Amino acid sequence: MFRNYIKTAFRSLLKNKGFTAINILGLALGLGACLLIVFYVVDELSYDLYNTKSERIYRVNADLKLGENRKDYAVVMPPLAKTLVAEYPYVEDAVRIKNAYTMHVKKGEVNMVENKVAFADPSLFNVFTLPMISGDSKTALAEPNSVVVTESTAKKYFDKTDVVGKMMILNDNQNFKITGVIKDVPKNSHFNVDFFLSMATWGDSRSNAWLRNDYNTYVLLKDVKDAKKLGGSFDALLQKFSGDQMKSEIGMSYADFEKSGSYFRLNLTPLTDIHLKSNRTGELSANGTTQYVYIFSAIAIFILLIACVNFMNLSTARSSNRAREVGVRKVLGSPRKYLIAQFLSESIMITFFATVIALFAAVALLPLFNQLAGKDIAITQATLLWLLPVSALIVLVVGSLAGSYPAFFLSAFQPIDVLKGKLSAGFKGGGLRSFLVVFQFGISVFLIIGTLIINNQLNYIQTTNLGFNRNQVLIIQNAYELNKSTKNFKEELSQLPGVAGVTMTNFLPVSGNRGTSIYFKDATLDQKNSIFPQSWEVDADWIPTLDMKMAAGRNFDKGRLSDSGAVIINEAAAKFLGYKNPLNQTLYKSLGGKTELSNTVKYEVIGVVKDFHFSSLHDKIEPVIIRLGENNGAVSLRVNTANLPALMSQIKTKWTSFSPVQMNFSFMDQDFDASYRSEQRVGTIFIIFTTLAIIIACLGLFGLAAYAAEQRTKEIGIRKVLGADVSAIVAMLSKDFVKLVVISIAVASPLAWYCMHLWLQDFAYRINIQWWVIAAAGLTAILIAVVTVSFQAIKAALANPVNSLKNE
Amino acid sequence: MIKITNLEKFYRTEEVETIALNKLSMEVNTGEFVAIMGPSGCGKSTLLNILGMLDDPDNGSYVFNGVEIAHFNERKRADLRKHNIGFVFQSFNLIDELTVFENVELPLIYTGVSSADRVKRVEEVLDKMQIMHRRNHYPQQLSGGQQQRVAIARAVVNKPKLILADEPTGNLDSSNGNDVMELLTDLNEQGTTIIMVTHSEHDARYSHRIIRLLDGQTVMENIMV
Repeated sequence: MFRNYIKTAFRSLLKNKGFTAINILGLALGLGACLLIVFYVVDELSYDLYNTKSERIYRVNADLKLGENRKDYAVVMPPLAKTLVAEYPYVEDAVRIKNAYTMHVKKGEVNMVENKVAFADPSLFNVFTLPMISGDSKTALAEPNSVVVTESTAKKYFDKTDVVGKMMILNDNQNFKITGVIKDVPKNSHFNVDFFLSMATWGDSRSNAWLRNDYNTYVLLKDVKDAKKLGGSFDALLQKFSGDQMKSEIGMSYADFEKSGSYFRLNLTPLTDIHLKSNRTGELSANGTTQYVYIFSAIAIFILLIACVNFMNLSTARSSNRAREVGVRKVLGSPRKYLIAQFLSESIMITFFATVIALFAAVALLPLFNQLAGKDIAITQATLLWLLPVSALIVLVVGSLAGSYPAFFLSAFQPIDVLKGKLSAGFKGGGLRSFLVVFQFGISVFLIIGTLIINNQLNYIQTTNLGFNRNQVLIIQNAYELNKSTKNFKEELSQLPGVAGVTMTNFLPVSGNRGTSIYFKDATLDQKNSIFPQSWEVDADWIPTLDMKMAAGRNFDKGRLSDSGAVIINEAAAKFLGYKNPLNQTLYKSLGGKTELSNTVKYEVIGVVKDFHFSSLHDKIEPVIIRLGENNGAVSLRVNTANLPALMSQIKTKWTSFSPVQMNFSFMDQDFDASYRSEQRVGTIFIIFTTLAIIIACLGLFGLAAYAAEQRTKEIGIRKVLGADVSAIVAMLSKDFVKLVVISIAVASPLAWYCMHLWLQDFAYRINIQWWVIAAAGLTAILIAVVTVSFQAIKAALANPVNSLKNE
Repeated sequence: MIKITNLEKFYRTEEVETIALNKLSMEVNTGEFVAIMGPSGCGKSTLLNILGMLDDPDNGSYVFNGVEIAHFNERKRADLRKHNIGFVFQSFNLIDELTVFENVELPLIYTGVSSADRVKRVEEVLDKMQIMHRRNHYPQQLSGGQQQRVAIARAVVNKPKLILADEPTGNLDSSNGNDVMELLTDLNEQGTTIIMVTHSEHDARYSHRIIRLLDGQTVMENIMV
């Protein structure tokens, strides 16, 4: 019996090659796109799960509120880790990781720039699962000047992994001994490190400071249940250990501090939540967001739905051609359940072929998708372990789902009706089919609107006035290498023709140094009148070089000695401080220790700089206070020349006359783009998958139109004989579909508008949704539908009526 | 074998009620070859559908082999039908996706005959219909006459007691039509009861008895000699 079904199914598919191709291709396209997104989502959800103890690992965070200022840190105080282990028996172990950012590593005579460097406590290998290839994981990070490198780093520098005991020279003069080689840190880890330096090397790590946050700290609990207990004990712990320091530095007890409305609290984030749910100051690397996981999952489901709907629609549309077969089988005694089984097995078979094609396509397209999504997903044995069962499930579920309507619909035909030919005009009766077309095109319209709005917002981000000019600014990132001579280097650069300005500091509006300080409005240092802004040290050339505008007052003046006691604030700071006229106001900063006037520094506000964006456009512009300083972290130049290569080589020559280390540079606009890369990627992926969804929906419409035309062949023939011209027939055939598409636009537009409105709320700086976006999406959908349908309609209208009438 | 009494069947649309069968009574005995004739719309096809258990009457009695089946539900009718009745249609109604062999095999599959028996019986009947050489062809590759032979083969493969033929020669030229009528006559001589709807007086002459219908009623019965 079963063989009979397969046989009929197979031959029926072969007989209708065009239909089969549309059906299988549409489904394969949908499934393939869906699979790629599933890979992406699975990858996003798998972060840090490689740690065998992942469910017992938590990161300790610090939340700080000072007056009206709030800060969330992913980093905590230097002595916290060891204190937690000592105080709480249920804390099995704790480890600190401190980002060391960029270092130079000598390979032969060349200094290579390495960005993935971090200091870590020896307990690193007990908490995280970083298997060691050679070396002793218990002692590897115990001694100062030890380094544990990853396998690929070892190969990069020594062409082999057996390198324990060898020396590495960091930053041109520090000798480190390699004490271990670990397997590469998995890509789906929230930290991405190639060099782990022993924490003992870093003097500050022994600090007993309880009032500053700069170490990413992780605890390994003996039992998951202890997390609550630990979270509940932090207040007492802070009171016990930070109380004295608070008294001497801020001049109040921990209890008074809390009473005043400020707070300083610790909390825990489960390790596996870090990647998708944490976005705090001091993250070890940029994390993802749950939002995009949801958005992508939704797109995947949409695409799959569209593909399934196609399948159902085409199958039922074609049902009239299969009706006779159903009738004959019923007359010969086939029970209904056999027919249902037959049509289900046919649809499962189509799904099976489509899934196989989709699997191969998804695997083949994975490298391209990785590039698009900025991922490094690979198909491993572990992937196959879930992929194959899931594929089998897809075949069964999608096959039955997509086949169920045709199966139940076709099998319910009454044999005499069929054999009498009552069902031959089957197209108009498709109420469900119309509903499904509306559904499909509704999703397409939704996606088109979404894509347009995402694109507009991204465009807005790129063209919006940031408050500074990011174009043609070259940043020399490792200017600190020149130590005291950085200033001379800067002076020499400013002499070069084609250089419009040079500024020395690594506080820059694009990615760079950030630092906060507390300022008070009056000398009593009352927190209620405090501001906790970004506090940056720049030079007098900073504002002109970056092309920022003053809202009031003046820039720093190199010539005025008194400017060392001057600050420039941004508009946000002026607003926060509540000054109507901020100029000549004074701000106070504590030097620590006792809260006395003698222990504070006084600053005079000499200018207000117009607000400029220095973090993501998701966030509101925070208050910034800038002071004069000699920060030599980086040197930025505004270049103003047509011949950039020549200028670059001049700059490089200057650099080499100062330092043997390689000059490390970037362009500010590129850095800016990099900070929006994840959004760009989402935008690109969104566009691609939307296009796919629309193509799949069109495939379905194309097939439906073909059937509608076929169903009405005789009618078309009669109309032509009676004198209808081609355009009238095309209009007649297109009208029904266009009506459905218009309905779908009416349903989907408000929905899409609402959802995209919600998405935009996430941006502090955003576009308004324009009416033309909705109109454009609607027109696009209609245009696509008309083009798709009229292709078939014209074909039908041009056919010779004699043939169609003779066939009947 | 068949005894119907006061059979009624109506077709209703929103405004009009059409009487297809108007208190029709008739009897067909085992081994008979009966032709039903009448103008278009006289109720021939409705009658055939009811006799074939594809449709149920609105009123009246239908006794098949001594069992009253007028009130049978679809499943019971289907079960009775597949074991007892073979159909031959004007338009053959072969399944295009199946070969000659597979088309003929189909009723045996639905009555649960084992695979080995099926091959034997299909070959037997194809041989008898002289289309053995076409066993692996698809319906579209055959002439009309050949297709009707396959349809007849399919109708008789289950050895039904009754064959219902709806204008079996309607789509055939006269020579092929005569062949088909000869085949039906042979089957009848071997004991199968045949009821045939036809427009053709020529074909009707192959039968033992002609029942003439008009407006859903029997108007005349001719006994052929």
